[in-house]
Formats: sequence, structure tokens, C-alpha cells
Amino acid sequence: MRSHSKTSAPRRRPPQRPLRRIVARVAVACVVSSLAYQPASAQLSPGERLPVRGLTLGNGMRLLILPRPGAPTVSFVVQFGVGGVNERLGSTGIAHLLEHMLFKGTTTVGTKDVDAEFELFPLMDAAHDTLVHARATGDVATVGRLDDRIAALEDSARVFVEANEFDRILTRAGAQGLNAMTTTGSTMYFVELPSNRTELWFALEADRMLNPVFREYYSERNVVTEERRMRVETSPAGMLYEAHLAAAFTMHPYGVPVVGYMSDLEAISRSEIESYYRRFYGPNNAVVAIVGDIDPDQVERWAREYLGPVPRGETPAPVTSVEPKQLGERRVVVEWDAEPSLRIGWHVPSGVHADAPALAILTSVLTGGRTSRLHRRLVLEDQISGGVFASLGPGSRYPQLLQIGASPLAPHTTREVELAIYEEIARLAADGPAQNELERVRNQIAAGSIRRIQSNLGLAFQLAESLSLFGDWTETFRFSDRLRAVTADDVQRMARDYLTQQNRTVATLVKKEGS
Amino acid sequence: MRGAARSVLLVLALLASHAPGLHGQRDLGRRAVEALDYPPIDFRPPVPDEWDVDGVPVLMIEDHGLPLVSVYARFRGGYGLFGREYYAAGTALPSQLRYGGTTELSPDSVDKALEYYAIQTSFGGAGEAVSATMNTLVEHLPAAIQLWGSLLARPAFDSTQVEIWRGRQLESVRRRGDDPGGLAFSEFNRLLYGDHPIGWDMDVGDLSPQRLSSQRLAEVHRRVVCRENLVLGITGDVTWRDMRPLLETLVRGVPPCEGTLPPSPVPSISDEPGVYLIERDLEQSVIVMAHTTEVHLADDPSYYSATIGNSILGGGGFSSRILARVRTEEGFAYSASSLWTMPRRYDGLLGAITRTRPENTIPAIELILETMEGLRAAAPEAGEVQTAIERIVNGFVFNFDTPGRIVSRTMFYVAQDLPQDWLERYLEGVRSVTAAGIHDAFAKHLRPADMMILIVGHPERIGREAIEALGPVTVLDVAR
Repeated sequence: MRSHSKTSAPRRRPPQRPLRRIVARVAVACVVSSLAYQPASAQLSPGERLPVRGLTLGNGMRLLILPRPGAPTVSFVVQFGVGGVNERLGSTGIAHLLEHMLFKGTTTVGTKDVDAEFELFPLMDAAHDTLVHARATGDVATVGRLDDRIAALEDSARVFVEANEFDRILTRAGAQGLNAMTTTGSTMYFVELPSNRTELWFALEADRMLNPVFREYYSERNVVTEERRMRVETSPAGMLYEAHLAAAFTMHPYGVPVVGYMSDLEAISRSEIESYYRRFYGPNNAVVAIVGDIDPDQVERWAREYLGPVPRGETPAPVTSVEPKQLGERRVVVEWDAEPSLRIGWHVPSGVHADAPALAILTSVLTGGRTSRLHRRLVLEDQISGGVFASLGPGSRYPQLLQIGASPLAPHTTREVELAIYEEIARLAADGPAQNELERVRNQIAAGSIRRIQSNLGLAFQLAESLSLFGDWTETFRFSDRLRAVTADDVQRMARDYLTQQNRTVATLVKKEGS
Repeated sequence: MRGAARSVLLVLALLASHAPGLHGQRDLGRRAVEALDYPPIDFRPPVPDEWDVDGVPVLMIEDHGLPLVSVYARFRGGYGLFGREYYAAGTALPSQLRYGGTTELSPDSVDKALEYYAIQTSFGGAGEAVSATMNTLVEHLPAAIQLWGSLLARPAFDSTQVEIWRGRQLESVRRRGDDPGGLAFSEFNRLLYGDHPIGWDMDVGDLSPQRLSSQRLAEVHRRVVCRENLVLGITGDVTWRDMRPLLETLVRGVPPCEGTLPPSPVPSISDEPGVYLIERDLEQSVIVMAHTTEVHLADDPSYYSATIGNSILGGGGFSSRILARVRTEEGFAYSASSLWTMPRRYDGLLGAITRTRPENTIPAIELILETMEGLRAAAPEAGEVQTAIERIVNGFVFNFDTPGRIVSRTMFYVAQDLPQDWLERYLEGVRSVTAAGIHDAFAKHLRPADMMILIVGHPERIGREAIEALGPVTVLDVAR
């Protein structure tokens, strides 16, 4: 591993240290605590009985290792506790943009001459800084000139780049589904490999954590703007969703789109990306889940040897913003060249709140399946909508929304659909659900608790999320027990207390005049 | 009745690098990639047992890991085997099997029973097949298979449910223009395939009461859901001994076929180079381009060369040229890929797809065409060929990662009359591909100058003159 002490622009790169030095230091300092999490209950669900091995490295990284018989494959999920909620106006979308940048390689992967690349970064970044100021003052000519300058500099740097090498190494190893995902609360990197390539994953992932290089930054930022155009700016559903969240959350970052606003994306600099990386991508902010045909002892050894040397990072600042209590119904209209649709959201507590199980059951009673109340009313009986959904979101870590969405069948209107939804909610709040409705939901939960552990990758996601959200991988499976314990009175109380007019935000997409 | 225990040892000696293992401290990054040594995988994938129930082939893999059972049914026959006047009924058939009730149970009773037992079902169809699956806790297997069998064999096609489906489809027709990507693909298919099932797009006429009714659904059902068209698959926590009587009851409820369905028609593909423009005020253009090719799915070197060639051109994600140039180098697009379809019986398409902001539309198209020309002009580099082959060879084990995947695939081979060792042949075929073979395939089949290019977007922002420079322009009048 090369040292980069000669590089003149330390702020242009994430913290990097020669690995040999790190390894020598860590041999002494890396206190690895290993414990097998053992759920206490005698009545364990199939998920709780899984032989998961928990491991916390000295640098704070937490790993869950689960050997499973079957085909010789293994699934990996790395989940960092950073997402849309950690952003501020002016740099929205930065967590997602950083997710893209972590596929660009390292000091050895993705480059032919990393020092030559580093020499060009300050020139690009300086041009970008000036460009941002020129844009703010409306100096269009300068903006155009500097755009061309940055593109030319990236072309110069590209001579030294081995494009997409990180991806290519894994592709050649037979990787499936190599990708990443940024949500409001976390950023997840995932892949499946033939199990004989397990050590390769450790070597690449440790390298990515220690030595990332944010090359090809400005062209990748353009890629992200194209992603936004695809998901939001040419999508009626995407536009309505964005407007709905912005209206419902006036100060909590749940109101800001994870993909970011276009003007922010065009202004985020590479140095902000590097700073963001240092703040949030320490191993102490990461959870790793590895599930598949593996030897857990060997995997634990590799974890200690490869990931243990990654130095502990900063402790991310908590999100302190609290959405104030809503004091009246809010309504927002999006005019668009598309057929109408509707979203309604009510503020409800977070996924770790005591009411969370009853809220989950409430959503199921409302729209879970063809016998659910809203499906029966809107789709089967009144036939005024083609479908209806309910969900909790946009994230589960902070107080969120119970959201209902539907589109009317012409000539019916969003107003008719909206009123029918309110009627059904009023009925539920007045009478509560019937016992057979709850029985149906409970049976589905029981079957779901088995089905959900079929897929290795799906399991890896659940384990990582549960440990990240609750601090305990078994909690996701115990949640099924809490769901089964929900009573009709609980569901009625949720409908009565939360699904009120004062507490709701309504977003409608209406067809633009003349289109 | 026969029990088959084909014992095939599939040794996946995945390509190993040469360097010795690591000691003491760990190399990272490229040095690790060069140094690591991978043990071969010695894996014996489960092979489905083959049975016969009253003439219906049944493929089964017992899997006692979890108390779940899945049953898969595949019927030969779909909307593509009937005329346009049956398009709506043929398309509706799978969903109406699920939603239309049975001769014994109303639609509502079916919903309640399925949800009470927490039985998961799916019903789907394509132009030439109807498929259905059912997944249940093993404790409910007898009830579940009885209910699912009734849905398949004794549907009622309740008229209210038909009306609900008609209303939803009419709304989909109305909303067709809301999704520019979907609009681009349906119009492109219509341009190429015309009045062939691949080119059909549901319209108001298809959804008339004459073309979509309970009676017409029953007519299509009688032709498709019959015994000789059926292949069954089973995976899960059940033995053949317990499963057999349940399947016998199910199969005997499915009547013998009245006749043999004709094969789907061979399309007459229109191949008129030029630009086809759908004018829309969009922040991002949708671009689809292709021309026909004569490479077919077959155990033949040209098929394997085309498969690997497509992976290099744009089908292999970040390791392919189109994504590398359009996305990674230029930042023009989030997604960009090639397509090379190779049907068994008729010609396929070779082309590319991407989306980009209006101002980059023409540069992106030109870059894709230039990238295509590059593969016509010279053979791909050895490293590119190796990457594309290793991607398939080293990822081969994922074809066997669940019993469900193995059984479903084998059912497809039976239905398509492909040899059951097709996958092994495919692997060998892929391994034998050379750079020269790929170059020959592109030189023979790729014609960038002959592309039909469809653009959905804003012509002024794209630039009308630049559009016209690509070739003769036809503006498509697509009603919203």
C-alpha cells in the first residue's frame, strides 16, 4: 500500500493512512469483542432461532454473520447510518451522490496513476467554486466557460483512470445485483457473490473504506441529475410525492427529497463530498450483514483482519430537528400534464414508538389485500379507483407519515376518492376493526415471519436494518410478536387519535389546463 | 409414473487466479485482486425429480428447510395465439382466474379464504403462456391446493370482476401518456411489429363488451387451461408420497385439451431506418433505437458470440461500452444499455436505450452509434471478452441458488422443448466465444446506419435540425 504523504491537497481526499502502519497499530489496539446474541424468550420465532453471530470490532463496526446451508453463494450488506435526514438545504442529495461516488474506486482500483489524478483535482475544484459564484450572480457566460473547463480537465484526468474497475472486478467474480441504495435514514451497499469469493469482498470493501478516491466527480454528478430527471421531473408520481412530503414536513428533513433538489446538486462540490464522507462513513457508523454458505469462523477472522484496521471515524451528530405539531389541514396541488392522483398523509410516531405495531396493523386493515377496507370500498364496491395503497414513511427512525395514495378512474375525481377514504376511516375510528379482520392480518404475519427468511439477501437487509434501528438484530423478528398482540381497541385508537383532519396533508395532482 | 434421480455432479471450478494466499497482513484493492487465490466450488445442485400425473409432467425438489410449499403451473397458450379480437380476454385471463371466483365460491369468498390461510398466489401471462404459482404453509397445503386448483380449473369469471378489470384497463389507456418510457416502448413495438401480438397495445376497441366478457374469457380458458398444455412444479417441505394424491385430484380437475393450439404467428417486422419523434414537453428525452437481426436462440456459436458481444456492447452494465461512454465518461444518462433479443423462431432486435436531458439527446445518440461502429470496425479487446465470459461462468452458481429457480427454469425448458441440459450447453457455448467470433457477429449483424430511432421529447430543446441530420423524420401523432 502506497503512502500519499507527498500529495499537496489533503482536503481533496478522505483520510488515508498507509495500511502497514495501520495494521501494526491495530494489532495492539484492535480490541475485538465477540458475542453470540442469544434471544431470551423460550418461544422463539423462526427468525430468532437463526444462528447469527454478532461481532463488534474495536473500531466500532458491528457485523452479523449467518451461515446458511444451500447453494455456494453469499450475500453482503453494508449499512451506514447516514441518509437524507443528515442533509441541510443547499446540499440536499449529498448522501445519495456520495453513494454513487463510492463506486469510483480507490487509490489502487480504478486508476493508472493516482498521483497524476490528484494533481488535477484542485484545478477542477477551483473552477467549480468560481462557477458556483458566477451562477449565483447570473454570469451565464462565465458559467458556460467554466463548465467547459471542468469537462476538459476531467477529460485530462480520464487518461489516468481505469474506468469502472471496481465494478469490473466484482463482475468477473460472478457478482449478482451489485448496487447501493440511499434512504432517508441509511445508505446500503449490497452484492451477492459465489461463496469462494468471500475474501475478495473483504479486500475490496476494506479498501473502499480506507482509500476511496472521488474521481470523475463532475460527470457523475451529472448522472445523478439525470437520475432526478427520470425519477422526479418526468414522473407525475415522483413530482406529487416530493410536493406532498415538502408540505407535510415544514422543518424536519423528511420533507426534503433523498435524491436532492436540482439546484443543490449542481452546486455540491467535491470537498463537500469528502467532508461528508469523513463525518458519516466511519466504521463506528456501519453495520455489516453477511449471510450464506460461509464458515463463520473464517469470516470472523477476515472481518478482524480486513475491516478491523479501518480507523474509527467521527461520531455523527444526531438529527435534532423535531417537526412541530400540525395545527390544521394542509393542501397542496401539483399541476401536471398527466391524469389526476391523490396522496394523503397523517403525522404518526416513529417505527420504534410503542404505537408502531398498531399503526402497522392499521395500514394492513386499510389496504392490505383485496378484503381490506379501502380496497373493498374504492376498487370493488364504488369502483372509483383502480387501486389504493397505504404505507408508513418516508423513514422509520423519526416521526413519520401514514400515507394513503390512490388514483381515480375517470370520470370520478380525486375529491370523490378522498371523501370515500375519510368515510372509511371515520367508520374504523367509530367501531374499530372486526375480529376476523385482525385474525386475517395475524395469520398473514405468522406466514410472513417464515417467508421473510427465505432469501439470503433479504435476510441480510433485515438483520442490518434491525441492528441499526433497534440495536438488536432479533428485534425485527420480535416485532411480529408485537404485531400479533395488537388488539381491535389499539387499532381503533390509532385511527381516532392520528387520522384526524387537523393532522393531515393532502396532495393532489391535477391535469394542467390545455394539456 | 416414474421417479427420476438424475445425479449430476456439477463441478463449478470457477476460474482461479494463480498467486499464493496471504500471510500476516492483508493486501487490499488491486494488489489483493492480483494475489488472492480462490478454491474451486464443488457443488452438486439439486436436480428435480420427474413424475407424470395422468400425462402431465411434474418436476419436484423437496426442500425441508422451512415449512413452506410452492406449486407452479405453466400452461402453453396466451393472447398471442389468438386473434386481435381475443387480445383483451387473453390478457385478462390470468387475473380473472384469481379474481373472478369459482363455480363453488364467490370472488369475495375466494379472497377471504386465501387471506385467512395466508396463501400467496400469483397469476401471470405472456403472449404464449399462462403461469400460476401458489405458496402456502405446509399445514394448509391440502386446503390451499384445492382452492388454487379450483381457481385454475373451475373459474366463474364473475361479470362484476370483469367490469372492474375493464374499468382499470380503460384508465390505463387514458394514462398511457403519463409515463414517457412506457409510451416509447409501446410505440416502438407498434412501429416494428404492426399487427402482431408484440406490437399490440390495448385500446378502447379491445375493451368493448363484445371482445371482453365472461363468455369470451371462458372460451379462451377452455383452449388454454387444459391438460396437454400443462407442466407442474413443486418445491418445499413435502414428500412425493404426500403430494401425489393432491396433484392427482388437481390434474383430474383439468379437462383434456379439445385441440392443439397453433404456434404464435411469425411477425413481419417493419425495418424502416429513420427518426420517429413523439413530441412532448419533457425535461428528459427517452431514446429507443434498434434494427432487426437474424440471430436466434440456439445451441450455435453465432448465438453465443452475439450473447457475449451484447454484454460488451451495452448489456453488461458498467463493464460494457455504452454505459461506460454514455454515463461514466460523459455523464449524459443514468441508464444506457444495448439490447439484442434472440427469439427462437423469428428475428430479433439489436439496438440501444437511454434517457437524457433534451440538450444532450443528439450527442448521446451519436455517441451510441459511434460506439456501435467501434465494434464493427475492430474486434473487442481480450479483457472485455474475458470479463463478459467470467461474468456468466463465475456467476453460474446463481442459477441454482434456490429450488424454486431450478424447478421454474426446468419447467420452461420442458415447455419450450429445450434439452434439460440446456444450461450446461449454454455454459460451454459461452466459454468457447472468441474476440474474432464477436467481431464477425457485429460485422454481420450490426448496422448503426440502419437504426430506427424513436425519441420522445421536446424537439426545439433537442434541436430540430440536429434531429433531421440523423435521418428522415416521422412525427408520430400519439394522442394523449
